[in-house]
Formats: sequence, structure tokens, C-alpha cells
Amino acid sequence: MNIIEAKNIHRKFGKGDLEVHILKGIDMTVRQGEFVAIMGKSGAGKSTLMYQLSVLDEPTDGEILIDETDVVGMNEKERTEFRLNTLGYVFQDYALVPDLSARENVMMPLLMRGIDWETASRTADQSLDAVGLECKYENLPAMLSGGEQQRVAIARAIAGKPKILFADEPTANLDSVSGKQIIELIAQLHTEGQTIVMVTHEPEYTHHCERIIHLEDGMITAQEET
Amino acid sequence: MRALRIGLLLGFRQIQRASIWTTTLIVFVMMLTFLNLIAVSGVLVGLIEGAERAVRENAMGDIVVTARDDEDRILETESFVKELKTYDDIQHYSVRYSGNALLEANYKERRDLSGERDTAAIIVQGINPTNEDSMSHLSELLRDGEYLSDEEEGYILIGAYYLKEYAENFGDIFDTIDAKTGDTVRLSANGVSKEFVVKGIIESKVDEINLSTYIPEREFRRIFGRLDRNADTIVIRTNTPENNAVVAESMKASGLAEYAKIQTYEESLPKFLIDIKNTFNVLGTFIGSIGIVVASITIFIIIFINALSRRRHIGILKGIGIQRNVIEIAYVIQAAFYALTGSALGALATYGFLIPYFDANPIQFPFSDGILSADPESTFWKFIILFIITLIAGFIPAWLIVRQNTLNSILGRK
Repeated sequence: MNIIEAKNIHRKFGKGDLEVHILKGIDMTVRQGEFVAIMGKSGAGKSTLMYQLSVLDEPTDGEILIDETDVVGMNEKERTEFRLNTLGYVFQDYALVPDLSARENVMMPLLMRGIDWETASRTADQSLDAVGLECKYENLPAMLSGGEQQRVAIARAIAGKPKILFADEPTANLDSVSGKQIIELIAQLHTEGQTIVMVTHEPEYTHHCERIIHLEDGMITAQEET
Repeated sequence: MRALRIGLLLGFRQIQRASIWTTTLIVFVMMLTFLNLIAVSGVLVGLIEGAERAVRENAMGDIVVTARDDEDRILETESFVKELKTYDDIQHYSVRYSGNALLEANYKERRDLSGERDTAAIIVQGINPTNEDSMSHLSELLRDGEYLSDEEEGYILIGAYYLKEYAENFGDIFDTIDAKTGDTVRLSANGVSKEFVVKGIIESKVDEINLSTYIPEREFRRIFGRLDRNADTIVIRTNTPENNAVVAESMKASGLAEYAKIQTYEESLPKFLIDIKNTFNVLGTFIGSIGIVVASITIFIIIFINALSRRRHIGILKGIGIQRNVIEIAYVIQAAFYALTGSALGALATYGFLIPYFDANPIQFPFSDGILSADPESTFWKFIILFIITLIAGFIPAWLIVRQNTLNSILGRK
């Protein structure tokens, strides 16, 4: 069963002579439970594609169905609500709220879903345990290493059991050891049934993926099953 | 409710993790704004209130009894006074007789009898010295000499504005004589003249006192032929000045209003004084509101810079599903914190230090011992205004930043 269906996705920026056509008619699907990597050189449009699929941006043209919901044309509030309830994100530079402890960062989307404080706190601790951050619940992001911060970001993304986890170059800011650990962690989540779409430009981190989509100049040039 | 709860968490954490020096500075600015709002109008109103307080303390008391509009004097004054003595709530009272007279100095030493006499047209008050002093603390206003005694006769207290020495700063405004303590002066009224020795000079911030002379009531009645003993004014001090209206009502209810007009101090105040007080209050509030504008701009800039520097985090919060209103609430909470803390410290400084200080050390104005006037109700409303404006000043920049495109915020794009 496809959890993502994207048809003829175009994304243009600017107008008139300054118009830049980044995505040029992308058609792709992601199956439930699949681990897909989107690869390409810098400027190929891989992050832009992920933003369209993850409802952070809206395509200029095309249709995107996520979990059978048409996400194109939703208003700002509906998109925020949809992201909260359906998707999880791991950004390149961790993107944690610096004023909140690790636990509170993870709790934030849970509280937003209406979960009570105690349950959210317990779930956050479990998620942090799952990414190997036992005993660091109270630490502020500034007190954690880059790898640990990315683990908190993963804990935050998975705490709400999202249908799809999007990871945008999750290892880009990490050293090779930490990067490998993060990839292992993401792979572990996949083995537990998590659907994952990851953008990366580093081939060595794609060997856990089931499928790699190669992007070049805004178009899919190849898809390989691994 | 959910948005408020999460907004509170985000807001408080931002305050908690902010630099202590920045927070202190912002709170200090808010405290100064609050003080500006309260103190400027407070000093202006305090100017009038200080004068009012002196009038109440030294001249008019808490309840003022005067002749009814259709009579010249208080009827049956002696019975009226007897009735007053039955009121437990009345602490002191003073019966005053008033009349116009001519006061003359240097009439013994004057050699050129065809020259101008040294006279002044005066208001004379006939008083019981002990009762008057208990009521108005007149003896404390002595600039020179001594206070009157009940048993003595032939002595007079003169208000400072009737004397050249004390009124010279006012040019020719007042009718003055050249006399000092110990001199003999001649008081003429109603075709009767009597010599008095100046026993003391009275000086006060209350013009009414500076423009009065005081002699014992027996002598007054004799000179002015007031044999019916009906007085012009009775001023009353109550045990609890704030309950003077209750006592006045009780006096009226017991039938005393048939003999005289009974007014609380507040009722007896001339309207122009109330108008001046209100005008000063408006003026002070207007000047203070400039402070509010400055504070709201300060808060706006602080929150704007704060939100702008966290634009990416705001984008990320929206990205992970946090609604806009939650983030806006977080910034409004910060603004509320600054306003509340600053105002609380300002109120503490006002009521804990400034008001007691100025009560003990009034500002010496020519016509008043200026105090800092800040009644809690008006302070509360000024705080509410400051608070609401601060919240708006906090909300607008947050709203401007939060409404930006989520992805642009995350990527730092314009």
C-alpha cells in the first residue's frame, strides 16, 4: 500500500525572467513501511522534493496524497495539524528549541496533540531511552553533543508514532562516528515498521535503504532497489 | 486551553533561560515606566492633596458646620455643642466666631497725626484656645511667640500675611501692618476699640490661617456684641476621618440640620479645588502616558528582536506541528512577565518607599507641603492600561514573525 503518492510535482520560485524551475514533474510513490533515500548532487532539488512530500511547502503544480489525504490546497492551520498528527521530522541541524530540556523538546508535539503532561513526559522519556539518551532528560540542547542533539530530534520525531518520518540530511552536521550511529538508529526504526524518507548526498549512509531515488536537475533519473 | 498551556511553557522557559542582565534591564525599564506613570501625576495631584490635607488638619477638620443658607449664624449654638458632646465618634471640635475688623499698629509712637495710619483690614476669629488647638493644632503653626491661654485676655495671634515682615514677598497683595510679637495693636470693630498685645505670629501653608487673627471668644463676643453666642462655624474632628460622612449623616438624622448646615470636609471643598485636582491628575496621566508609549516601543523592539533572532526556531516549531497561536502566546507571556514584574517592583517602590518618604519629607512648595498621591484604585487602573499596552506591544512583533512562511523561516529565507 502506498502511503505517499506524488503525481507530476512542479515547484517554481520567482516570477518572469527570474523564475527558477526546481522540480520538473516528479512522479513517485512510497510504500508503507518502506525506507527510501532521495539522493542527488547539490541543487538537484532533493530537499525541495522532501519539503513538498512533508507538507512544509506546497508545489506549484501537481498532486500529493499522503495516507490517502490530498495535502495540496490545505490551509496553513490544516497543514500544521496534518504535520503534527501524521509526520515526523529530523532536520539537518537538529532544530531543537534551545530553551527547552531534551524531555520538553520531545514533549512539545505530544502536548500539542492534547496528551496530558504526565503521559507526554513518560512517552518522552521512553523515546529518549529508545535513542540511547537515558539520564539526559533534563539536559538543555547546549549541554548535548551534536550526535546527542540529533538523537533528541529523532526522539521528538518518533514520540508521536508518525506514519512517515522525514529526515533531511540527518548526518550532515555530524562526525562520521556519530553520523553512522544516527543512521543505525534510523535503520532500527525502519526494522520496527517505520516508513522513512531520507534525503542524503552520502552514498555510504544509504545501504540500509530499500530504495534510492536519484534526482538530477529537478527530475528523477533513476530508482534503484537495494 | 491547550495552546495557553504550551504557550506558557514556551514563554516561561524563554524567560528562564534568557540572560539575567537583559531581563533585569527590561524589568528596570518597565519599573521606571510604572513609576513615571504613577509618580508624575502623583506629585502633581499631591501638590493639591498636600494643600488639602493641611486645610483639613489645620483649618476645616472632618466635618464643617456653618449657618444654614437662610440664616447668618448657627442657631442655638450652645445646644448644638451640647449635642455634639454626646457623639462618641467626635474627637474634638472648635466653635469659631468670625468678624471683620481694623487692626492698627504704631498708633502710640506715631508723631505725625495727619500722616497715614498703619492699619490693616482683618478677619478676626474668636476661639476657645484649648478647643481650637485640640482640633487644628494651631499652636504648632506659631512662627514666633506663644499660643493663647484660656484664662488670659488682651492677647492676640496674628496671621503672617497681615504683617509686613512676613508678607513682603507678596508685594502689595495683602493689607499689612508693621508689628511683631510683644507689640501693642488696636483692634476696632463695631464701633468698639480694644488694645491687644501680639502674643504670637501664626504661619501656615493654608492662606485662610495666614489671613486670620485669633482672640479668645469672650473678648470677641464683647467687641462684636454677639450676646446670643451663636457662632459662625464649628469645625469637628472625628475619630475615624474616613467615616466622617457617617457621622455627618448621623448628626443630620438627629435633627441638628435644623440649626445649621452640616457638611463633610469633602462636601465643603470649593469646586475649583476639585477641578484643579482633576486637571492635575489628567495632566499627570498625560505626561505619564508618554512613558507608556516609550515602554510599549521598548517592549515591541525587545520582542521583535527576540522573535526575529528565533525566527528559525519559530519555523521549526510550526514545522513540527505547533500552531501559530501557541508561539504568539509564548511571546505575549514574556511581555506580560516584564510588565507584571516591573509594575510590581514599581508598586513596591511607590507604596513601600516613595509615599512614606514624601509623607515624612514633603516637597516644600510655596502653598503646599507636596506629598506623593497615589490612591490604589487609580494605580490599579493605570497598571491595567500599562499591562494591556505591553501585551499588545508584545503580541504585534510575535504575530509579524510567526505569520511568515514556515519553510522560509526554517531555511532563513526572506
